[in-house]
Amino acid sequence: MQYRLVQSTGGFNTAIRGLATDREGLLYAAGDSEIKVFDAAGRLLRQWATARPGHSVAVTDDGSVYTGEEGQIEIFDGAGKLLRVWRNTGMLGRVTAIGFLKDGVLAADTADRSIRRFDRDGAFRNKIGKDNPVSGFLIPNGVLDFALDAHGVIWAANPGKHRVERYSPDGALLGHIGKFDGNDPAGFTGCCNPTNVAVGDRIYVTEKAVPRAKAYDFDGRLLAVIADTAFDANVKNMSIAAAPGGRVYVVDTVKLAILAFEVAS
Amino acid sequence: MSDLTRRDLFRGTVLAAMGGGALFLVRKANGQVVWQVDASRCINSRLGEVGGEACNLCTTECVVALSAVRAVNEYSRCGRCNICPAYFNITSAVDEHGYPSEKLCPRDAIERKPIGKVDPEDPANNFYEYVIDESKCDGCGKCVMKCKEPLGLGSIVLRVRHDRCVNCNHCAISEKCPKDALRQLPVGQALG
Repeated sequence: MQYRLVQSTGGFNTAIRGLATDREGLLYAAGDSEIKVFDAAGRLLRQWATARPGHSVAVTDDGSVYTGEEGQIEIFDGAGKLLRVWRNTGMLGRVTAIGFLKDGVLAADTADRSIRRFDRDGAFRNKIGKDNPVSGFLIPNGVLDFALDAHGVIWAANPGKHRVERYSPDGALLGHIGKFDGNDPAGFTGCCNPTNVAVGDRIYVTEKAVPRAKAYDFDGRLLAVIADTAFDANVKNMSIAAAPGGRVYVVDTVKLAILAFEVAS
Repeated sequence: MSDLTRRDLFRGTVLAAMGGGALFLVRKANGQVVWQVDASRCINSRLGEVGGEACNLCTTECVVALSAVRAVNEYSRCGRCNICPAYFNITSAVDEHGYPSEKLCPRDAIERKPIGKVDPEDPANNFYEYVIDESKCDGCGKCVMKCKEPLGLGSIVLRVRHDRCVNCNHCAISEKCPKDALRQLPVGQALG
């Protein structure tokens, strides 16, 4: 399987930290202390300011836009109107990923190196990934990323272990895919990869040094190196998002661009 | 200003130069000026240059046997990773335990120590401390190059060890350093 670069979207000035897609395939990017919304052709449809720099963004099925920030999550409607703010510096140190369960919201907190589960009203339920000898995920890169599959299983990047780990919403470790390898592209290289993860019809990850995006099946078999030369060599923490139809978006954090890839064959 | 002659200017310049030189000599005599590696200039640690070979001029050019330059791990920045690219040769074959089979340092100067109890079921379930043995390190910069961002966290840098440096007026390394990374600084501003 091969992927090809089909689009590059710019227009950012300082940073792009989080990506998400909605059911219609619109792309949401958190960066420059703004949320920017693009259509599939890369046209900017709308944008609005966030109170603090956004580190992550996620969109519910009903179109609400959650933005993870330092100490809080801002919740907007699809047009950018602020609906609510969950402010909790103890529980939301720096929110670098957000996901949704049927009955709750998950937030990755890099300050605690764990994922926190809340109900839909923001009441804390439980931690995920904290109950181990190192008291959390090993994230030397300073970003904790996860995504949910169609069954509600949490796929979390644990770069210090060179794995993507699977958790149940109540925090049980179900297993993992991936292992270290500095030569075989099926493995994860360096000190700490993969840095970011997305789930769609496949598992998608990004790595740093050498920067690349890859696709795996749910059993951990490498399906494709989506790209390994398209990014600036100095990037890291490249957010990745899977869109309906198999398109994959990846952030180049140095060029400040969102690259779109599609299956070529 | 109209009374200022070229001779006055020349005299002023000479006096300023003599004054600066005298100040340097006084500082030098008092041991107040030392050489230091500027990590933001050093090829091995400066950001933006990835994938190249490490520069080892600090090893080859220093007049001191085994060099006065050492790799130093700034622990506050170290990720204490399970697999450290400055410790392991990460492109060597993976062994039966899932680790790179070779170390990076040609002088075996880095020791990998588990922090706390190792999980026997899963050694990756631990932090590790990387300690540089300065009696072995010769400042070759290989570990520095592999530790720098984005591959590592940039916690390992080169430092002139002032108990080894003989503080030459014209540092032999600085004469060859392509990035002018060896700098003289007052003791109070110098590290290490």
